[in-house]
Amino acid sequence: MYGFQGTMLIVDLTQGKVLTEKLDERFTRNHIGGVGFGIRLLYDRLEPGVDPLSPENMLVFASGPLSALGFMGSTGMSIVSKSPLTELIGDSDLRGSFGRDLKSCGYDALIVRGSAKSPVYLELTDRSVQIKDAGDLWGKTTAEVQSILSRRNEKGFRILSIGPAGEKLVKYACISGDVRFFAGRLGMGAVMGAKNLKAIVMKGEKETPIADPQAMKNLMKEIHYEVLHDGSCDTLSKYGTWNNTGPSNLKGTLPTKNFQRTTFDEIDQIDGDAMLSRISAGDRTCPGCPIGCRRVVKSEQPYRISPQYGGPQYETVAALGPTVLLGDAVAIAKANELCNLYGLDTISTGVTIAFAMECSEKGVLTDKDLGMHLKWGDPEGILQIIRMIAFREGAGDVLAEGVKRASEKIGRGSEEWAMHVKGLEIPMHDPRGKKGIALAYATAIKGADHESAMHDDVFERENALPELGYVKPMGRKEYQGKPLLVKKTQDLWGILSDALPICKFPMAPPRPLKPNRLVSALNFVTGWDVSLEEFLRVGERIFNLGRLFNVREGADRTLDMLPNRFSEPTPGGASTGETITKENLERMLDEYYDHRGWSKDGVPTEETLKRLELKAP
Amino acid sequence: MAVTVRFVSVFRDLGVSRRLFVVEAETLEKTIDKLEVQIPGLKEKLVDSHGRLHPAYQVIHTKGNRQGLCSKLDCPIADGDEIVITPLISGG
Repeated sequence: MYGFQGTMLIVDLTQGKVLTEKLDERFTRNHIGGVGFGIRLLYDRLEPGVDPLSPENMLVFASGPLSALGFMGSTGMSIVSKSPLTELIGDSDLRGSFGRDLKSCGYDALIVRGSAKSPVYLELTDRSVQIKDAGDLWGKTTAEVQSILSRRNEKGFRILSIGPAGEKLVKYACISGDVRFFAGRLGMGAVMGAKNLKAIVMKGEKETPIADPQAMKNLMKEIHYEVLHDGSCDTLSKYGTWNNTGPSNLKGTLPTKNFQRTTFDEIDQIDGDAMLSRISAGDRTCPGCPIGCRRVVKSEQPYRISPQYGGPQYETVAALGPTVLLGDAVAIAKANELCNLYGLDTISTGVTIAFAMECSEKGVLTDKDLGMHLKWGDPEGILQIIRMIAFREGAGDVLAEGVKRASEKIGRGSEEWAMHVKGLEIPMHDPRGKKGIALAYATAIKGADHESAMHDDVFERENALPELGYVKPMGRKEYQGKPLLVKKTQDLWGILSDALPICKFPMAPPRPLKPNRLVSALNFVTGWDVSLEEFLRVGERIFNLGRLFNVREGADRTLDMLPNRFSEPTPGGASTGETITKENLERMLDEYYDHRGWSKDGVPTEETLKRLELKAP
Repeated sequence: MAVTVRFVSVFRDLGVSRRLFVVEAETLEKTIDKLEVQIPGLKEKLVDSHGRLHPAYQVIHTKGNRQGLCSKLDCPIADGDEIVITPLISGG
């Protein structure tokens, strides 16, 4: 089977057993890989109602057919599990080379189930799988684990690990990849911690067969040439994702002070130019990608920040900056470094701290409750509360549950300041100025996710995405046409990119990784004859399978909602007065469900299931 | 016909960061032509090989308290207007 090793590794930590299963071509063609494999495996093998932090939950690490190539971020993997944050389907993508490394060990996917009696780590090579004692690693930061396991193993092993936050079951703990790449969202690190699995180390040399290597090589060469010469990736190359900060502020879509505002007075201190001038120490890139969007940072004063741990990307800058009213680039980078070392998702951490600050400002949490004086924009307070969350110390214990649960426990009206959808903290694009993103947040299978559908800004010009029928411009603040746009780009950008897998950035128009080229790449690697129509149908199938998983867990239309704060008009900036009222969201949902082939309650109809070759739960 | 122009998170290599440019022009195309004199190399980046505004950038046009986009080079610009050139936000 071209593009695949054809084998899945299953590790049962309760029994200490390791087994393998063969993958057949029908399974791979129907789900492609990555998030597609993960959702299907969880749907088929997990009983409804399972506690995400119980041994019964499964943690799936899945590569895809493009993972073996050095092709625009294709060497990553998807990590899929039932999320402890949402108690629904959860996935988080991990860039770097970890998908390729898993394949090199001979596996397309790794399923971890059960829970070890004491801390362990997994060592995978192309010759053996070993469950090893991790007693000496428990309690260590991701950087310490990286250092110890790098010394213990020969050169070239890649290391996935969790920090103290994962061990302490912080609901938004992340998984580190070599302490430079992070599967941040949805608490995959907590699932790993609940299994007493501290780390996974991998190294192998197995080749994955490619059906038409020459055609693939030619396509890669063509796309790389365009990336370097057509100008579409220039600002991403030069600024990394920091290129979003200034424009987002300018458009009035930059979450500020826990989404109370959408512009930040100190933007000049933290925008792309400021970050490049003050703390940039160069860039890193994923294997084979000519863009190099990942900025590395360094500082000596007032905080020492090591370039070893990468640097904050846009989402992190905004979450640990304007969202908590922090306008200090170095302090933001330090907060990012702490999150990385402790193993916390930076978006959820920032939004949770902002929630706590609003509770403090409004007298719902006192200094005594918090064990500290937590005020907007105070770097020392922010760094202190990050540690408290990671180790569940004092008020950090309730904040470690995420804003949904924390607000339910704190009460006294604080639910209104808990910015989440389905339990997942809202990322760094205020949806009032982007109506498509508003609907995408509401309907994404994993909760508020900024990478689940293409952003409205992309469609403000002509011929944005003709392959999907988008030739006429659509305003970002308009409602018309957005339900179908969200549906189509959820299937393509949200799902299929994570199934192949491939980085989403070069797929965003006008960048060169266009849908037809993705289909060509898939066919060159697998030898299949997939059409664009079939490709998109796979994306739709995976999305609906995720929805079915959630429906089986009790989700329905009532969860496809946004916080009430978004029905209040934005107070300033270029999106002044914009709202997403409940009525407008309901109207978009009606139309979106029609396009999806779902009932008014948000459940896929029999006809839709039949068309997508799916079965009702 | 004085138009002010700012650049946000673009063309750092051309030395335009944090600088405010003032030019006299009636359209976006003429604005870019005038700027090219002060910022050599700008036009090659902003205008694509088909003679259109490069799709990787957005030109935000502020007229009084109204903000819109200039998506074509013949977009009219009036005295006192502000132009901000930014990268296209695509998420992430």
